[in-house]
Amino acid sequence: MSTMSKKETIAMLLAGGQGSRLGLLTDAVAKPAIPFGGKYRIIDFPLSNCVNSGVDTIGVLTQYQPLELNAYIGSGQPWDLDRLYGGVTILPPYVKGKAGEWYKGTANAIYQNIHYIELYEPDYVLILSGDHIYKANYRLMVDYHKERDADCTIAVIDVPLEEASRFGVMSVEENLRICDFQEKPSEPKSTLASMGVYVFTWKKLKEYLMLDEENPSSQKDFGKDIIPRMIREGQKMYAYAYKGYWKDVGTIQSLWEANMDILDKDKGIDLDDPRWKIFSRNPVMPPHYVGETAYLKNSFVTEGCMVEGTIDHSILFPGVVVEEGAVVLNSIVMPGAKISKDSRVEYSIIMPQAVVSAHQVVGHIPGPKEEEGGITVFSGEEVYHG
Amino acid sequence: MDNVLGIIFSYSDRAAMRELTKIRTLASLPVAGKYRIIDFLLSGFVNSGIYDISVITNSNYHSLLDHLGSGKDWDLTRKIGGMRILSPFSRSDHSNGEYKGMLDALYRNLYSIKRSHAEYVIMTGSSIVCNLDYQEVMDAHVQSEADITVLYTKSMNGGRTVPRGVGVIKINKDGRIYDLSINEDDVRLQDVNWCLDVFVMKKSLLETLVADAVSVGLTDFYVDVIKRLAATLKMQGVEFTGQFFEISNVKGYMQANMNFLKKSYREKAFEKPIFTKVKDSVPTLYREGSYVRNSLIADGCKIEGTVENSILSRGVRVEAGAVVRHAIIMQNTDIQCGARVEHVISDKDVIVREGREVIGHEKYPVLIEKSTIV
Repeated sequence: MSTMSKKETIAMLLAGGQGSRLGLLTDAVAKPAIPFGGKYRIIDFPLSNCVNSGVDTIGVLTQYQPLELNAYIGSGQPWDLDRLYGGVTILPPYVKGKAGEWYKGTANAIYQNIHYIELYEPDYVLILSGDHIYKANYRLMVDYHKERDADCTIAVIDVPLEEASRFGVMSVEENLRICDFQEKPSEPKSTLASMGVYVFTWKKLKEYLMLDEENPSSQKDFGKDIIPRMIREGQKMYAYAYKGYWKDVGTIQSLWEANMDILDKDKGIDLDDPRWKIFSRNPVMPPHYVGETAYLKNSFVTEGCMVEGTIDHSILFPGVVVEEGAVVLNSIVMPGAKISKDSRVEYSIIMPQAVVSAHQVVGHIPGPKEEEGGITVFSGEEVYHG
Repeated sequence: MDNVLGIIFSYSDRAAMRELTKIRTLASLPVAGKYRIIDFLLSGFVNSGIYDISVITNSNYHSLLDHLGSGKDWDLTRKIGGMRILSPFSRSDHSNGEYKGMLDALYRNLYSIKRSHAEYVIMTGSSIVCNLDYQEVMDAHVQSEADITVLYTKSMNGGRTVPRGVGVIKINKDGRIYDLSINEDDVRLQDVNWCLDVFVMKKSLLETLVADAVSVGLTDFYVDVIKRLAATLKMQGVEFTGQFFEISNVKGYMQANMNFLKKSYREKAFEKPIFTKVKDSVPTLYREGSYVRNSLIADGCKIEGTVENSILSRGVRVEAGAVVRHAIIMQNTDIQCGARVEHVISDKDVIVREGREVIGHEKYPVLIEKSTIV
């Protein structure tokens, strides 16, 4: 390999998870390909973060329903990732020698792509996932990792105690060195949650991936196996305290909330920062048209839409049609969906291409007692109450 | 259609666009919110399967280059064919500076045109934009065995006049052209065939015609080729009855934009994709207090005020209490609190300060120059 291809830091983006808690939404697409925020998809966030942080070499590990995701990423050109050296590479499981196998866990997925990583002779490898909405400068995190001469740095965010059991949580010493890590504990000892963003010194990670592969009782998972073992064996593990907006969008409720958050100036996620653009594959559609009978407030509307109804605190994705008399409240209407005359949609996620018929009512104000919040997912044929 | 070279003349000698073309060539004039005129021309070729395209530029084409880049947003970054921008090329002491006419422009770019492997050329100007399937024009050309096919219309296209400077052809009952005149003024002419600046011919014929004409000092394609050779060559007029817009003066520009507010027009115009430069703008945000009626709005806008019967390009802000009516507002314009603009064409990066009013008239829209602070 020529020295041209040497990269100090490369990223590996885990995009193969099924996202089963998202119900209908992930029946046909992988979670990272789910539309978000009007004209984006979830994966645009880690990809844009990489590019804006100066990381131009990214392996995207796919497994579950990869077709749409692969087509979306394509050559990587929308993110400036069509590069002579590096760029974005889709890494599905493949047959090696006589045998091939599926990715058995997050760590195994990386293990199976050691050859890809070594093409770039990286010093550090960023491990990312495709199910979080946030803006982060990974460069700062790598610098932090280097300053401490760490083996692994984990980005953490302080969460309310009652939510901590949904995450990997860690206990740290005063200097933020990690002394304990619990993956989704029923009784969390800390409120520092892992954001699923890791920086590893590649040599060390490779060593542990190979050790883990030989361990028959391992689930081949970063959170359950690799990280706890590294802590046990006294490796230098640091927490990197992230400040800013971060949201896991693994459930219908949280996906809906994250969308609503971008409508709110005070939530701290601003998509309109010219120095930190969120890049995406832009649809080829004309500007949107607002008709004679429309009312719009606190809403995002994008290209290809035609609005003649009332849109309040909602997000319309490309090519959505809202006819006269229709009311859309606190909802997300995904690409190409149609909200017909005099219908009413509230607290709902309308799936791509779905049609809400004239006079139909979809969704309801969530009851205070329902744990999951009661956001309705509507596909046309099926209705799912989250 | 891999045997066709498309040639776009990105400028116009006859367009009178006031300040709008002071800083840019005609083809890069913003239209329909997020587009430039050239987007419709390039997309027309691409949608007809023509991927070998030369864009002839004359002067002030900086904004055009900026817009087109490598051509990737139109799928024109190709190894075979693709888009070439032909910037002014001097061939001798007496053929330099700005082009003296279409023939001079072609002559000075003949090296590049000769390099294309295409058998045919289709040429188009930038002041008239036809929504057409070039395959149909090509078929008509081949079927009629014409040397040159000239597209014409009898339609006033919603306007009242035939624009100054266009060629008006006379044809016999078989459609063969036997004479041509140049329309002297913007006047209403009944039942004339006015040319749409679209021509089809064999590339080898074009090369010969250009070399011959220029060698005897002729520069104008209409007069020195179509009119002069009408008896010698078989030149066929083909009537175009489809949708087109025509931008040769500010009123025409206003009309061309306002057409897009009509649903039927929009549906036809965007039946096939119209490509443009990707800007990664955020969706448009409507805040509390916005009131929007019959308007076409691109991404990246923030609207808190009133917008009626208007076209907004990307990144326009209409603050609370501001009113925009019957206006074309180009990129990144700020209409601040309580300001009012009516019958206005506002160029890029304009700021209309709090409470200021700019009111034009339907017959004479006010034009605000690029980067003006009102």
